[in-house]
Amino acid sequence: MTDQIKINVNGSEISSKPDQLIIEACEDSGIHIPRFCWHKRMDPVGMCRMCLVEIETPRGKALVPSCTTKVSEDLVVETESEVVKKAQEGVLEFLLINHPLDCPVCDKAGECPLQDQTMAYGPGESRFVEDKRHFEKPIPISEIILLDRERCILCARCTRFSDEISGDPLIEFIQRGNKTQVNTFPDEPFRSYFSGNTVQICPVGALTSTSYRFKARPWDLKKVSSTSNCSSVGCSIELNVSQNKMLRILGEDNEFTNQGWLSDKGRYNFEYLHSEKRIEEPLIVKNSSKKPNINEAMDLISNEILKGGDPNISFIVGHNSTNEEYFALNNFAENLKKVENTFGNIDIYLSDDYLYSGFFNGDHSLAEIKDLDSADTIVLWAQDIKDNLPTLYLRIKQAVRNGKKLLIFGHTNTAIKDIAEEYFGGDIVTNNFEFNVNISDIPNFSRHIDGKEVIAIVGKASPLQNTNPISELIQYLEANSNLKILNCFSKGNTFGALQNLNLVKGLNEFVNEFDISKRNIVFTIGANPVNNSIYSLKIKDSLVNADFVVSMDLFKNETTELSDIILPTTSLGEKEGTFTNLEMRTLMQNKILPPPGSSLNEWEYLLTLSKKINLEQVYDSETQLNALLCKDYLDEDNIPSFDNLNKPSNLNGVLNSKTININIENVDSTNLEILFVHRLYGDSSTQINSPSISMLSSERFIEMNSATYFGSYMLYSDVVTLIQGEISVQVNVNINDNLPDNLLVVPINRRGFQNINPEKKVELEVAKSREQLNVS
Amino acid sequence: MSWEKELIDKANEIIELYPEKRSALGPLLYLAQEKDGYISNDSIIQISNLVGITEVQVKSVASFYSMYKEEQTGKYLLSVCKSISCEINDSRSVIDSVKNFTGLENYETDNDKVFTFEEVECIGACGGAPAVQVNYETVEGLTPEKSLQMCEWLKEERPELVVADELQEKFGGVKSFDWAIKDNTGSSYSVPGFQNIGTAKEKNL
Ligand code: SF4
Ligand code: FES
Ligand code: FES
Repeated sequence: MTDQIKINVNGSEISSKPDQLIIEACEDSGIHIPRFCWHKRMDPVGMCRMCLVEIETPRGKALVPSCTTKVSEDLVVETESEVVKKAQEGVLEFLLINHPLDCPVCDKAGECPLQDQTMAYGPGESRFVEDKRHFEKPIPISEIILLDRERCILCARCTRFSDEISGDPLIEFIQRGNKTQVNTFPDEPFRSYFSGNTVQICPVGALTSTSYRFKARPWDLKKVSSTSNCSSVGCSIELNVSQNKMLRILGEDNEFTNQGWLSDKGRYNFEYLHSEKRIEEPLIVKNSSKKPNINEAMDLISNEILKGGDPNISFIVGHNSTNEEYFALNNFAENLKKVENTFGNIDIYLSDDYLYSGFFNGDHSLAEIKDLDSADTIVLWAQDIKDNLPTLYLRIKQAVRNGKKLLIFGHTNTAIKDIAEEYFGGDIVTNNFEFNVNISDIPNFSRHIDGKEVIAIVGKASPLQNTNPISELIQYLEANSNLKILNCFSKGNTFGALQNLNLVKGLNEFVNEFDISKRNIVFTIGANPVNNSIYSLKIKDSLVNADFVVSMDLFKNETTELSDIILPTTSLGEKEGTFTNLEMRTLMQNKILPPPGSSLNEWEYLLTLSKKINLEQVYDSETQLNALLCKDYLDEDNIPSFDNLNKPSNLNGVLNSKTININIENVDSTNLEILFVHRLYGDSSTQINSPSISMLSSERFIEMNSATYFGSYMLYSDVVTLIQGEISVQVNVNINDNLPDNLLVVPINRRGFQNINPEKKVELEVAKSREQLNVS
Repeated sequence: MSWEKELIDKANEIIELYPEKRSALGPLLYLAQEKDGYISNDSIIQISNLVGITEVQVKSVASFYSMYKEEQTGKYLLSVCKSISCEINDSRSVIDSVKNFTGLENYETDNDKVFTFEEVECIGACGGAPAVQVNYETVEGLTPEKSLQMCEWLKEERPELVVADELQEKFGGVKSFDWAIKDNTGSSYSVPGFQNIGTAKEKNL
């Protein structure tokens, strides 16, 4: 290849990309150079000097840091010469001067780069007899991160991450010289959605997380790679388990998706797996004294199904099932339909308010996440990206850092306005998410679009928005630019559901199609539609009126309260299957934990039920399900079968598509008073049962601009009571002047907001007590 | 403690001078220090809002440089040079005499907030060693006696403004450069007198 150059390392020739750093070029050829501060996803700083190598220069040999020196044609590098070894010993001896060497009580021991590299390259003994520096330890720098300052070797990985990658530099070096330390500003904790990454990349045990501190030793951990269902990015993760308990989730570097990073929700939302509140046996809700075993439970359900009366059978399914489970569900529903003269309508609904027809099926060209790096312009019209697709936000931010132009349409992404080239707020987009002006008249828009490579990240910004403006926008972009579309449905394995269900409908359809005059059997599968949906109240009504409700879930929740029987199911790490992300990349989810109690996978229940009601059944295992669902992928060369996905070359997942059928009625809304948003941390049962992060969703706040605050509501307090009919909630008010007038932003996934009607006016009153509002 | 409009206007004028807001950080920290005698957390919050970086980033810079003080200094900051040229010209005894008079150890401030004493590295006045700075106004060619007199004078007179040429005339000896133009600007706090950021004050000598 012409774009490769030759360099000479330790006497042998290797080829390297021009412009690469020596450390990277060597790494690519399998030559490891020790390092602390360099991280391939961040800019080099040359902070630690551990990576010193000798190179030949016109003035003789010189020691240079290989993480800040680029290769050049015929460069001669020595990574193991006597001089290099001496330098490495020196660097380590200096680094250890102030390091406490408290490895026996440090969580990092066993996987600590400082420990490992001291063993491999260190001098073996220290000449330092003076007093080391001491700090109070550990100090909490946020609710979930702790810092032992004396262990820090000042590599600046954490501070660079928070500045360069996540863009919330709330930690920095304070003081200098011997006193230098990482710290936060008083009363300004390290509250970042991405703080857990710093714990993972800290090369010593200075940063630890409350959730893992003192929990395990690395050599006791069993590990398996998997895929996170925190969002539809499908971040690659490693599950760490000891004694059948999940103890930690680490980010894995998947070039195409998360590149090693995770949001704190993706990282810490696992403790629920071992919560005492977890349902482990089938439960008859209305008669808790009766404890059926699985067989009795299945009999009960099949009897209800076969009781006659032409029942309509509806399935409301969530977004945490595997592709195999969606496929099994689809198969079950299809087989029910085939039974003659026994059932009424059989329908599957996805529990997601943001669904709409999207842009699929060959008429549009779809984007991969990596296309963000090569586009000219990124157009964003969607839910709050930082809260709902946090790792996609990191990729967008990285693209912007590399010079791509980000154009944001209001009003959900105000939080990332500062990285946008243009922000189109209230002047361009109405409170109902319609265009105020012709798209071609939007100032400073066409010059970033016309003839350019454009990626549009589009989805419903608000559950109640009419989607015609999105179609208009896409039409305009397709006509004027070279457009690729990233469909922005944010939740878990939504795309797996879209690919594996013959027809996808939403909660609005469920409510509309629910026929109270019929006998109704409803299954809710890993879904809690009675909480968190704008249709919650109506769904509650339907479920109350249904004749028989079966819930498959992990916890009791607002929905299971209304069901007749709860079947305990499995979750991340307890089941094997595949996951499809928003670019249609299918990745493996692996099993490393036994299912608790008598929990079964969703497909196992469906299979047992099939047998009980004598439906044709064609599968007996996940592997068979996987083989079946692989049959109708469009691209025959890249089938996401278990076998294929386990090939080393496919560990980053494979791209493939299926025909997608979504049937969602367009909603019409006028006069939106309230914009519902989903915050990263909310009141889902998995989160409230994960102690480390459960309190992060306790704050209840609404946002509005100052004109609305002072003008329409005449408020002079940041604590108010929000009143609408019977509902009254105390909330904090945050002023956000990027919002248009008369729009209140309300987090729907926080306690107390579920039942508010977004199309009706709310009253705000100054609250009596000004105390901070916290609900546990 | 938060900033008055006048000070914010001045800060904005300074910010205007730079292509990027955050480049004005240094001078703004001096404004903060002139205001309170040290860089308070309130000022840090104010500056972080003005230049658009986080508080801890401001704090990082403020705590890195020793000329930004994290604690209240006295009215007169006495910085006695301890580097090589001064050392060989007996700065030790100058240091001792200042220490004796003020009763202060390094980085200490007296209870009445009159003096803060510090030993510093070379202040660029080697030609007139040993040298001392009062609120960063340099006096050269000092002796233990002269430095004592200078401290006494500062304590008695409490001049609002400290001006290098005036101190030099009264207490100094050999100077590095004798041909420099007369300069009647000085500083009134432990902040160097910079004309362009408005911390230099004029005095009629
Ligand atoms: S805390 Fe860890 S990551 Fe941060 S500078 Fe110190 S050693 Fe590096
Ligand atoms: S890795 Fe190169 S200086 Fe730290
Ligand atoms: S050594 Fe004292 S001024 Fe240079």
